[in-house]
Amino acid sequence: MLLLQLLIDGLQLGALYALMAVGFAIIFGSTRVFHYAHGTTYILVGYLFYWLSDRLSVPWWLAALVAAAAAVVFGVALDRFVYRPIQRDEGSFFTVFVASFGVGVVVENLVVIFFGASFVSISTPLTRVQDIGGGIVISWLGIASILLAVLLFGVLNWFLARTDVGVALRALSENPELIRGFGLNPRKLSQYAFAIGSLMVAPAALVATCVTGLTPTAGHRVVLISIAASIIGGIGSLRGAGFGGLILGLAESLAVWKLSTGWSEAVAFVILFCFILARPAGLFGTRARV
Amino acid sequence: MQGYILNLLILVAISGILAVSLNFIIGYAGIYSMAHAAFFGIAAYSGALIAMHVSTSLLVAIPIAMAICAALSLVISLPSLRVRGEYFVVASLGLQMIAFTVFSEWKEVTGGIGGLTGVPVATLFGYRLHSLESFFGVSLICLALVTFVIYLLVYTSFGRSLKAIRDNEVAAASFGKNPVIIKTIAVAISSALCGVAGVLYAFHVSFVNPETFTVDQSVLIMAMIIIGGTGTVFGPILGALIIHLLPAALTYLTFLPARDLASLQQIIYGAAMVLLMIYRPSGLIGRSNVKDTWGK
Amino acid sequence: MTGPVLSLKGVNKRFGGVVAANDVDLDLPPGLITTLVGPNGAGKTTLFNLITGNLRPDSGSITLRGASLLGTDPRKAALRGIARSFQDLRLFEQMSVFENVLAVMERSALPWQRGGRAGARERREKAEATLAQVGLTNWRNARAIDLGYAEQKFLSLARILVTEASLWLLDEPASGLDPASYDRFVRLVRGRLSDGVTICLIEHNLDIVHGISDRIAFLDQGAVLAAGEPRAILNDAKLAAIYFGERR
Repeated sequence: MLLLQLLIDGLQLGALYALMAVGFAIIFGSTRVFHYAHGTTYILVGYLFYWLSDRLSVPWWLAALVAAAAAVVFGVALDRFVYRPIQRDEGSFFTVFVASFGVGVVVENLVVIFFGASFVSISTPLTRVQDIGGGIVISWLGIASILLAVLLFGVLNWFLARTDVGVALRALSENPELIRGFGLNPRKLSQYAFAIGSLMVAPAALVATCVTGLTPTAGHRVVLISIAASIIGGIGSLRGAGFGGLILGLAESLAVWKLSTGWSEAVAFVILFCFILARPAGLFGTRARV
Repeated sequence: MQGYILNLLILVAISGILAVSLNFIIGYAGIYSMAHAAFFGIAAYSGALIAMHVSTSLLVAIPIAMAICAALSLVISLPSLRVRGEYFVVASLGLQMIAFTVFSEWKEVTGGIGGLTGVPVATLFGYRLHSLESFFGVSLICLALVTFVIYLLVYTSFGRSLKAIRDNEVAAASFGKNPVIIKTIAVAISSALCGVAGVLYAFHVSFVNPETFTVDQSVLIMAMIIIGGTGTVFGPILGALIIHLLPAALTYLTFLPARDLASLQQIIYGAAMVLLMIYRPSGLIGRSNVKDTWGK
Repeated sequence: MTGPVLSLKGVNKRFGGVVAANDVDLDLPPGLITTLVGPNGAGKTTLFNLITGNLRPDSGSITLRGASLLGTDPRKAALRGIARSFQDLRLFEQMSVFENVLAVMERSALPWQRGGRAGARERREKAEATLAQVGLTNWRNARAIDLGYAEQKFLSLARILVTEASLWLLDEPASGLDPASYDRFVRLVRGRLSDGVTICLIEHNLDIVHGISDRIAFLDQGAVLAAGEPRAILNDAKLAAIYFGERR
């Protein structure tokens, strides 16, 4: 049944989108930085993974780990060398946004210079699909995506609820006024936020490199989906962002039932518009102020 | 050589229109739109289609394209100007992505990835503008007109209203101004003027395809504004000039591989944007947020 | 006109556990200056926000010359003749002094204003005259952000003076001014009462409140504890105790 297949595909996609979205939400929630370079982290992970495992023949699991680590380093470095200096001088939301965008442009074009502008991908047996009955197919990678998402969310949940840093991050997301007044060490906290948030993008990048392939401009879509999911789920709610990502993944996949693949990519943004129009606070937004 | 220079200048004029019209909302209204390339594209496609099916006269194509752009700007204005400015940025990015998808997928109208080719030569009052000189003249006049319109708006009550809303929206509202309507009108004007550039572009290069109208193009226009300065009406034209001269200058550095030149330019702009944001605490608006304490 | 210009009855507003307005009854008599006093956090600015529609009351009525103000927003309040200044001034910082005053008179959202060329000239002349009144003519072309503290206070007043408003809500408009500037300020404000303007003032400094007020309302923790003649309220020992922090 086509619909069921699309649903399952949507779950896989939604799992990855949810991870990306929560990553963005953690960063934005605790630092109020419009981290457009979230998409840049994505292509960094993907291309590094590709370069290591395809060009340098590094075993895939090592390449994946290195790429994920690079995401963390990139995020923290951006925070330290770009965002923090700007925010120190009381840079506005938009100043940070432009800087973030600038970083994205630089990295994107470096990628073009080194890897060219067309698709790169890695072929792996993990993308081969298995028939699980009734003509429904799913690949190992797909299963892995969902399991990884569940696992990471479980760990994240524990982290946000049980550790000091996690609780602080969560509190900040819902009450950014605390950033100034509470006596929490903002510098350390933002490092954690960027580290965790950037890490969450890695699975999606790794999977995409194997399945759909990667292009230098893929980052734009990634960060926009993350933002859209955060708005739909409600700014200030990490769960909301995850839920938003899931909805967007499902919607995009189910849209293929009626639309071609090209058109289905626009569905996420149409949903975004509807929410901005009708319910800007999102589904679970704690900050309903507009 | 002369052809090369004229071609360059025509592109500068077109970019100048893009930059000046975008600065109207970014520099004077504090509205950060990332969808300018989308409107550029919408106007280019409209112009091409009008030229191929209706009339090659600029006096027909330009007004229609402007109207289409202004109307479509409401798609982002109406939902997002009621809420905080950050939503507008997101909505504009969303529109940019949707526009690109439409350009690539709506094959019956836009020709899909291949785009539309064979746009006929532009005419003005029956005159065929097939020489570079004549087209340059017309482009320059359009640039002058667009800049003049924006100059007028900025230095009259509308400009004051925009600046007041930019500086303190709450105070502006408490004195009776209607921020939503004023901002919506400003965005519509900006998009319509951007449309002029789109039509000119379609006629000049005689084809349109989606590749030209991406987020990267929006970023390029923003770079022109940042480099040229957001505080004046004319600054962005300077930015457009610099940004177009840079690639030409780069070609003289023969040790750089030719196929990477476009990327290198972008890297320079990207880096410039990052550095300017870090080291120029006044940020984007051309004047300083820091108080001048001299002489008090 | 005999009844109060502005009347609040039974107005309540809570934010979670905080009572910002507690069953407030307040009348602003026409042509007089009523001053709201009280310790920090007493809810004075909240009342202004409720009147102009920045906040919606949970219950109660607010009427302007008999007509309800409930459901209004700051813009509509301005169109109904209420002018409001803010404690943090909210000047149009990047605009010049002259533009700050001129912009306030240009309410139309369209690229042109009412009255054509003649109207525009009138507004400009009025702006110049008002700047002269507040003594800011020399600063005409300076950016608002570059002005000194006292000049900024007078610019904020100039913006109010230039409106056609009949009810002024001024939030600590003269705080921090030196005595000479303060006198000048008060004279300017009082001078407009004869034009039919009604003024409500929030002021912290009890020393100067006496000189400027026709009536006083004392607020604490969102409630109006007393309202009436300045002398009676300012001499009340219990209120003084509350103001200076000794709670009962």
